[in-house]
Amino acid sequence: MAAILDHQEVGPRRPFLQRALDRLAPSKLMVPGFLLAWSLLVIVPLVVIVLFSFLQVRQFRVVYEPTLATWLSLIDSGRWMAVVRTLRIAITLTILEFLLAFPFALWLAKGCRSKTFKAAVITLLTIPFFLDAASRIIVWRSILGTNGAINTALVWLGVVDQPVEWLLYSEFAVHFGLLGTHFPTMVFPIFMSIALIDDDFIQASSDLGGSPAQTLFNVIVPLALPGIVAGVVFTLVPLMAAFVEPQLLGGGFVDLLGNSVNSALQQLKYPTAAALSTLVILLLGICLAALILVARRRTDIAAMFVAMRR
Amino acid sequence: MTDGKIAKPDFDMSRRDFMSTVLSVSALGAAASIMPGISQQAWAAGQAVKGYGVTTAQLKDWSIMTKSTGVGIDYTPTNADIGVFMRDVMGNNLGATHDIFIFDGGSEDILGPEGFFAEIDEKHPQLTLWERTPDSWKRAAYLRANDKQYGVPVIGNGDCFGYFPAAIDANPNGMDEIPWTTFFEGEKVKGRVAIDRSWLQSMSETANFLKHHGRLDVEDPADLPAEKARVVADYLVERKKAGHFRTIFSAFEEQVQLLSNKEVDMINCWEPATKEANNALGPNATIYAFTVEGYYLWGHGANVATAAMQRDNVDNIYKLLNYFLGGEYRAYQAKERGYAGPNMDLGVQYAIDHGWSQADIDNLKWTDEKVKRKFQKPFYCKVVPENAAVMEEEWQRFLNA
Repeated sequence: MAAILDHQEVGPRRPFLQRALDRLAPSKLMVPGFLLAWSLLVIVPLVVIVLFSFLQVRQFRVVYEPTLATWLSLIDSGRWMAVVRTLRIAITLTILEFLLAFPFALWLAKGCRSKTFKAAVITLLTIPFFLDAASRIIVWRSILGTNGAINTALVWLGVVDQPVEWLLYSEFAVHFGLLGTHFPTMVFPIFMSIALIDDDFIQASSDLGGSPAQTLFNVIVPLALPGIVAGVVFTLVPLMAAFVEPQLLGGGFVDLLGNSVNSALQQLKYPTAAALSTLVILLLGICLAALILVARRRTDIAAMFVAMRR
Repeated sequence: MTDGKIAKPDFDMSRRDFMSTVLSVSALGAAASIMPGISQQAWAAGQAVKGYGVTTAQLKDWSIMTKSTGVGIDYTPTNADIGVFMRDVMGNNLGATHDIFIFDGGSEDILGPEGFFAEIDEKHPQLTLWERTPDSWKRAAYLRANDKQYGVPVIGNGDCFGYFPAAIDANPNGMDEIPWTTFFEGEKVKGRVAIDRSWLQSMSETANFLKHHGRLDVEDPADLPAEKARVVADYLVERKKAGHFRTIFSAFEEQVQLLSNKEVDMINCWEPATKEANNALGPNATIYAFTVEGYYLWGHGANVATAAMQRDNVDNIYKLLNYFLGGEYRAYQAKERGYAGPNMDLGVQYAIDHGWSQADIDNLKWTDEKVKRKFQKPFYCKVVPENAAVMEEEWQRFLNA
């Protein structure tokens, strides 16, 4: 041991950069540095947004006098209904996405044996990330419209006498459009966490007499929980800000928070946009806190990052 | 080639001098052509005028203008979003880099008195067509503020709605006046009407309809005080809940798609949307209406940035302003977009002088007659109404109902 220590002491000096990096112990510089950067990049703008919501705009100019008028106008103008509608649709869709994505991810991770096929499916799932949302969604209008492909087929087949109008410009259409857009963000984290589950655990459960349902609920779901939580977060958060699908498929009848913010910004009503954004942040904070509280009983949230490291 | 046929230049230039000059000019030209922001066309025409404004004010090919005036333009198009326009001019100080702005007349109510727009120099030697331009165009309220002239008229029209004549049993020649009552309350089109998401247009049109029929007492349908805006929003909410509207659209492309797909029977769209739809569906499949109650008048004004008057391109700026009043611009705007403007007679003359087809000439004459006929009705518009904030809030109530 002494020889080893001696060797280390007299060994060649390491490069300066490596030594400098070594000194950046997590507890000394990295953590405070990260917290400072995080505060400047994320927290400070959020604080500015909250403060801005207590101002007003007159004739396209911000009046720097504190007031509650903007917040009160959210009630008078009915914008609060957009908040409630957004929350309802976001939660409904997150649940729907999970119910569809979990079995799919389970099949992709453990059921699909062909590596080529699996690679092809994963590639297909990434398509929404490459295409502009508006270009992708607008196609559905010519398919779902009263003279669109589906209605034409339904009428031609004699299934209906008149075109089905609620296929487009309705909450159904918005749900439909959002479902496709956010499916990959739910599938990928769950797929990754299930793929990391050792096959031996599943085999052991079966060998010990566990039914498929018992294996699913007592082995797979608990081990996949970090991925499920990540999937919920990555799906719920963007859903709260969705505005392309509601605009193009909702036909103006399904106004969500994103549309309301957009409309306010177009009129340079920054305080209104700020108040709505503050509401979104508040609602997301509440949703995520609830999620963490529920999930904490079964798993450690930080485990999702541990799983990724594995 | 003999001296007798070609006049000898009155200066002597050696071969070396000549080559040196050619090389210098070529090098300068090459350098200019690769400089960002300077197009070769603009370079050829001298210092280009930098413009910013609505897409529809553009010629589809600006080189026509450069050829006839010697002035190039470097134009940045934007949509008809007043908020974005005001932000860019006021917040982003676009006057520091751009010479002229073309937008829905009315923005000068704020941007003129606040010093962003310069007063128009009506005596400028390059503004040769100003005197012969009718007052109905050049003195329009949407070009002036505080009794000062801030804009030059560019194009204009009276907006209302497009429709399928068969859907409302209307005369297919499109010459009959269709009441807005059909648009808002027609049983035959119930559930097949599209309304513009722009509150500025839709609320004003609704207010004018209600005013015409004695259901709303308001002075200016385009500038609604809080209680009047509430009445208008209540009416629209009632129609929305009755299932009268099929959709609330927001873009020009949507207007065209809604008509081309026959998704709706009536839509308070822009006139070019019916032209585009007819390109797909056949001539006169859709008609842009003459109405009983009136029109949402809009006119694009060209405004000069105050800072531009301190730069050394004022002559070219005024040549451009003058061009907007001339026949060539008028003829092409009417032909390509169906929009009218001041001095339409010059447009017709231009078409005749340049050998345009009789159909095109007749179309220009028709555009002039059409706009004159529309302007006999009440019209209304205000791009920056004093009550903009309450109108937008009430409009949100309609959207969220």
